[in-house]
Amino acid sequence: MKKWMKLMPFWAPGLLLYALFFIYPTLTGFYYSFTDWDGLSPSYRYIGFDNYAAVSQDIVFHKSLVNNLKFMAAILLSQTVISLLLALRLTRQSKAIVALRALYFLPTVLSSVSVGFIWTFIYDPTLGSLNALLERVGLSTWAQNWLGDSAIAIFSVAAVQAWAHIGQMVILFVAGLQSIPKELLESARLDGAGRFSLFFRITWPLLAPAAAIVVSYTTIQSFKAFDLVFTMTGGGPAYSTEILSTYIYGSAFLSYTFGKAATASVFFLALISIITFLQFRLLRTDRISY
Amino acid sequence: MKSIFKLSKIALVIAAALLVTVLAACGSGNGLGNSANNNDSGGAAGETKQAGSGVKDPVTISFLHWRGEDQAVLDVIIDKFEQEHAGIHVETQVFPSDQYQSTVQAKLIDGSVGDVFTSFPGAQFEAIAKAGLFADLSGESFVSAYEPALIEAGQKDGKQLALPYQLVYNIPIYNVALFEQHGIEVPKDWDGFLAAAEKLKAAGLTPIAFAGADIGPGQFMNPMVMNNAPDEQIFAKLQAGEAKLTDEWWVKTLTQFKELNDNGYFQKDALGTKADAANALFIQEKAAILASGSYQLAGNKASNPNLRQKLLAPITVPADQAVFEGIHTTTFMLAVNSKSKHPEEAKLFIEFLSRKDIAAEYANGTGQNVTVKDVDYTSEELKVVSEWTTKKTRFQPRFTITNTEVQEAVLSSIQAVLGGTEPQKAAEEAQAIVDQQIGK
Repeated sequence: MKKWMKLMPFWAPGLLLYALFFIYPTLTGFYYSFTDWDGLSPSYRYIGFDNYAAVSQDIVFHKSLVNNLKFMAAILLSQTVISLLLALRLTRQSKAIVALRALYFLPTVLSSVSVGFIWTFIYDPTLGSLNALLERVGLSTWAQNWLGDSAIAIFSVAAVQAWAHIGQMVILFVAGLQSIPKELLESARLDGAGRFSLFFRITWPLLAPAAAIVVSYTTIQSFKAFDLVFTMTGGGPAYSTEILSTYIYGSAFLSYTFGKAATASVFFLALISIITFLQFRLLRTDRISY
Repeated sequence: MKSIFKLSKIALVIAAALLVTVLAACGSGNGLGNSANNNDSGGAAGETKQAGSGVKDPVTISFLHWRGEDQAVLDVIIDKFEQEHAGIHVETQVFPSDQYQSTVQAKLIDGSVGDVFTSFPGAQFEAIAKAGLFADLSGESFVSAYEPALIEAGQKDGKQLALPYQLVYNIPIYNVALFEQHGIEVPKDWDGFLAAAEKLKAAGLTPIAFAGADIGPGQFMNPMVMNNAPDEQIFAKLQAGEAKLTDEWWVKTLTQFKELNDNGYFQKDALGTKADAANALFIQEKAAILASGSYQLAGNKASNPNLRQKLLAPITVPADQAVFEGIHTTTFMLAVNSKSKHPEEAKLFIEFLSRKDIAAEYANGTGQNVTVKDVDYTSEELKVVSEWTTKKTRFQPRFTITNTEVQEAVLSSIQAVLGGTEPQKAAEEAQAIVDQQIGK
């Protein structure tokens, strides 16, 4: 028996599943992006690049893209910075710290729909606990129309997304921090490195693989945050929280323009691929060596 | 080495089994190519067969709808139907209304579920009709059980494709006791409406509870626009490019929304308020008017039995120029799936629901008015609504917008104005989206 035949049981199942559930749907989506299929009728026509022209000029698509970039930037910044700061405090292995890590991780196991509903009630301007709390502690000027003000609604949703996923990122950073050899830190300390230079010259460069995973995962998550937006705002008010995934959903299942939705999905795939590639290059994950 | 070889053989068998399972799963899920013509494909919700001898085996028909809150009443009705038609079993699947919009079409395609299903009027009705999933009900005897004027929303190209079952008035509800307490008559024109709101506000009440974050704009736009654009084809003309949102009728409507908002007649931060919170304000009698519709009357009463409620519509023009008094919608449209394997049994079920005693049981049990003729309403709320059957109302304008993205643009312009955008600018921005949608 040839070597590749013997090894087949190891790679074939994974490849098969990947091909069936990722490559096939992607190619099918690409195919439908050249059609005017409505998602219901048994027939459709090939319309060439018409969908690509229509989507690239679509005002709502532009709004969704801009909102999505704002959403991504807000989540990327808050989630990465806060989870890194927490991870730096939570690396040691004591009972209290393990309990804290579990506590921070807890929101991650809640379904996004539940998180969305919980926070919709918290944010509610008349019945919500957030504004009530701010008023009680004398910060009533900080009270906001969190989901109803189109200038801040996308950031209010982003805050919830960060709240729900910071614990997950803490775990990734803690794993990265624990894999840094202690000797390196010790010798740097002996050489007189202060806390800041220790972090920026030793810890951060060696954390690059973990940081790359956190950053790319957070980015992809921010593009896929459909359920949270759907339950909290439905894309409103006035398109201010419409992001690419809700745009695609609306095109496919509410407007019955599957061809257009498939086209937007192709743009979506290309955009995530480019951003993730750039992030990996910028974080120089390939240059780590001990 | 031998054991490794054995292990790899086992793994190969597992891989092959996995492949077969996955392919089989994929094969059964792919409905597009073979659904249209292959009547044997797919499993039924409950399998039934016609015996060659002419003796019918038990038949299970599937009923899809979105009214989870009505299910207890429908279950009793279904029991009665099954007793009368021994051998027919009705299996119900209920989806929340927003999910229903997006999932039901795909389920109907292969005919395995939804022998009887319900449809919303407007965009969903148009999409299902275009896909040819409605069986034609024209000429069925039970069609005559309905008020002819109230089943037009289920007609297309001269055919009765669906039968609207529920009758809803999409106009605000007001608290009768609060109006009486403050000496307020039901206003007959726009100045009167503003004066009433001012009086309520001065009394420390929220004049209008408005769910600006979800259903509010879609409900309240209807009475607000009905007399500003008395042409019932106005949104059809908008989609045909013959009318524009920048025309006087829509800019005036937006300006009046702004007036209500700027004067503080909606609760604070109305754009962030969802339906539950707006309902709570009304139920707790903190708000005097609830900008929703008659479908909410029974729910309000259940939460606060002391409430005395009636309906009123804002008249946005001088009283002598008012053409319409309110808005009605006929919805929960009963239909038979054209791909159903049991169309006769499905029609029997609709015939049963169309009987006036059964319709009355449904109406009185659920607190929803129906389109069936001569139904006796027993609850106070339903009587309130039935008063409106003699008034001059028009079909809900929002449901005459058949393009969902145009509808979204229209609703977003209301939200934009409430968020501080000038009416003219909001109208222009919405019209730009409409132009793209209709290819102008």
